[in-house]
Amino acid sequence: MIRFENVSTTYPGQNRAALGNVNVDIEKGEFVFLVGASGSGKSTFLRLVLREARPNHGRVYVAGKEINRMASWKVPALRRKIGTVFQDFRLLPNKTVAENVAFALQVIGKPKSHINLVVPETLELVGLEGKGDRMPDEISGGEQQRVAIARAFVNRPQILIADEPTGNLDPETSVGIMKLLDRINRTGTTVLMATHDAGIVDQMRKRVIELSDGTVVRDQSRGVYGFQH
Amino acid sequence: MQLKYVFSETGNGLKRNVSMTIALVVTIFISLTLVGLGLLLNAQANKAEDYWGSKLQISVVLCNQNSRSPHCTSGETNPAQQAAIVDILNTHPEVASYSYETKAQAFKTWKKIYVSKDAEERQIYAAVTENDMQNSYRVTLKDPQQYRGVESALSGMDGVDKVNDLRDVLQPILTTFNKMKWGALVVAAFLLLAAVLQVSNAIRLAAFARRKEIGIMRLVGASNLYISLPFLMETLVAAVIGVAGAALAVGGVMYFFVYGNLRPDLHVVEWVSWRDAGTALAEVAALGILATLIPTLVTTRKYLKV
Repeated sequence: MIRFENVSTTYPGQNRAALGNVNVDIEKGEFVFLVGASGSGKSTFLRLVLREARPNHGRVYVAGKEINRMASWKVPALRRKIGTVFQDFRLLPNKTVAENVAFALQVIGKPKSHINLVVPETLELVGLEGKGDRMPDEISGGEQQRVAIARAFVNRPQILIADEPTGNLDPETSVGIMKLLDRINRTGTTVLMATHDAGIVDQMRKRVIELSDGTVVRDQSRGVYGFQH
Repeated sequence: MQLKYVFSETGNGLKRNVSMTIALVVTIFISLTLVGLGLLLNAQANKAEDYWGSKLQISVVLCNQNSRSPHCTSGETNPAQQAAIVDILNTHPEVASYSYETKAQAFKTWKKIYVSKDAEERQIYAAVTENDMQNSYRVTLKDPQQYRGVESALSGMDGVDKVNDLRDVLQPILTTFNKMKWGALVVAAFLLLAAVLQVSNAIRLAAFARRKEIGIMRLVGASNLYISLPFLMETLVAAVIGVAGAALAVGGVMYFFVYGNLRPDLHVVEWVSWRDAGTALAEVAALGILATLIPTLVTTRKYLKV
């Protein structure tokens, strides 16, 4: 589902490579943690998957397509196959919970009847039934992240990317979010989650890819956060 | 594609930047009005040239009964005198071609020019007959700069009342039209530049105000067209209002000034018509829309890059 072949990339004006010769293969339906210190290349990795950046060398394949050579007009179609969740939720403050989720479908031109059907369904899936009319500032942080997950998942993407989704949440709420991501993973969606949260990684026992200074130093199935060589 | 979203976003964008929108509309309006007037002046200059005949022509006016020139001793130019004139015209090396304008033709033109609403003037004009007109030769020169030779060869001849070089009369008028035209167009060019920069600024502001929405739209895979359409619509609305304002202003000038004053009272030349105004406005509309859409496309590409 996601494959990096000898991927290296350097940001303009910097000597050090953000990623150096990374080779990673993530299968369809996998749940993968991307761990590493700040500046280790996690965000660059995610940006390359989303084609917000392009590598200097090597190839990136997402959903069967080599995306670093993809024409830019095809990028929106790629991103419809990927849902993305961030640490800071990124909800639109002037729209209700349901409108925030519906927005993701409206802007890709889905018909109203379809939106009216799947938005309540998705809100129920993430545990927000009955809260569709609330504004984002009326609900808790954990609930806001659920809205963001609902928005990312409402179009049933093949891949869900989560960049520190529990970074702003307390441990208890984080567990709820992880359960939700696990549930989404069980529907067949590939989940790629960048995190610093050792507790969560240890608990989930999923595949762990650790980056350090832009290189993969560990790729372990059923890993834990603090594994040492 | 859900156009409802596009329209509501367009409306929101225009409201959010009301002052910016007004500034943009006013700049577009004034610059396009000036372009429109410049184009009208251009049409007027062309019309004047066509109307008065080629600038390269000189006219050799023959005597009639009323002529006071010392070369008009016998009243009307007689056939012998006329034959001598034709002989010169046929043989003079500087003459390219010539044509004869009869009194009847001159009278026709005269009647077209001297029309009045004033009853007294009309009475005076009615007293003029074909015989008050003069026959003349319209001479086209090989080299328009070399007209003195022909002029001196003809002006001393018996039967020649006077030799008019039309350029002496028309040049100042045409120069004035041209100066006004270029003045209007130069000012309009500066204002259009300002309008183009304002479009870029307006887009930048609007993109900044909507950066959260745009970020999410890009992330969930909205097409570039869908993301940039509200911006295009915003500037398009401003452009259309500006063009409409310019059309009203140019139309006002046509209605009150050209049709209200010039056409009924001043018959020295054929004045621009509604048809010319329509052509000028069509050009203005195309220019207005291009001058806003192109910077919008360039700026949205820059700020909304995937």
